[in-house]
Amino acid sequence: MNKRIMFWARECPHCKAMMPFVDKLEKEIGIKLEKLEIWHNEENADLMRSYRSVIAPKCGGQLRTPTFFNTESNDVICGEVEYETLKEWALK
Amino acid sequence: MKKYWRCFVCNDIHYGVKPPEICPTCLAKHAYVEISSNEAKNISGVGKVEFDKERFHEAIDKFTEKNEFQVNPDKGKVKMLLDGIFSNEQNYGLKYCPCRLITKDFAEDIKQVCPCNFLIHETYKDKEDGECWCGLFVRRKKNE
Repeated sequence: MNKRIMFWARECPHCKAMMPFVDKLEKEIGIKLEKLEIWHNEENADLMRSYRSVIAPKCGGQLRTPTFFNTESNDVICGEVEYETLKEWALK
Repeated sequence: MKKYWRCFVCNDIHYGVKPPEICPTCLAKHAYVEISSNEAKNISGVGKVEFDKERFHEAIDKFTEKNEFQVNPDKGKVKMLLDGIFSNEQNYGLKYCPCRLITKDFAEDIKQVCPCNFLIHETYKDKEDGECWCGLFVRRKKNE
């Protein structure tokens, strides 16, 4: 599996807002993100829950969407961020 | 520990650590007696109340009327969030926030039922343009 994951939710406006940045990022630096929807796919939800101890402390103690998570470095971003912040995360 | 209580005059049900001293419905004093969760469920089930998205929207508008926050004026955002809230209720039993995944630990997950207590969250507290995590509720502008 791709080490860069975007956990997102279908009815989450922040996720919708971040999608154009993700598309731009993938085109610009040629890195693909594993985009996993978590409210309508139990397997994806369980995967996100399995990372709870790493993700939650960096996201207000909760499993929030969107969460950008690097499974190797454990770098986490959650919520809406600037494009450059996302890019910096992706290039790590 | 929270318990169920029933007004012996009008059958109002209260769930809490203590019963109300005055029944908010019939105003009887010292009228609440402790009951089982099963009795509470059976009594509550008599007055079936349907809640569609429109009704929920009305309820949260009313809820915010006298508060320092309001429902987000962005109608598109609100529609998307209500779709998620109702989808979560249908699939998982409660109106969970569409922008946070449940953990399957009920004591934690109950904190994510909409409206959640977002006043204590870092996205709202002490922020002039504060909002709950999903953005359904936003702080009122000072001149509004």
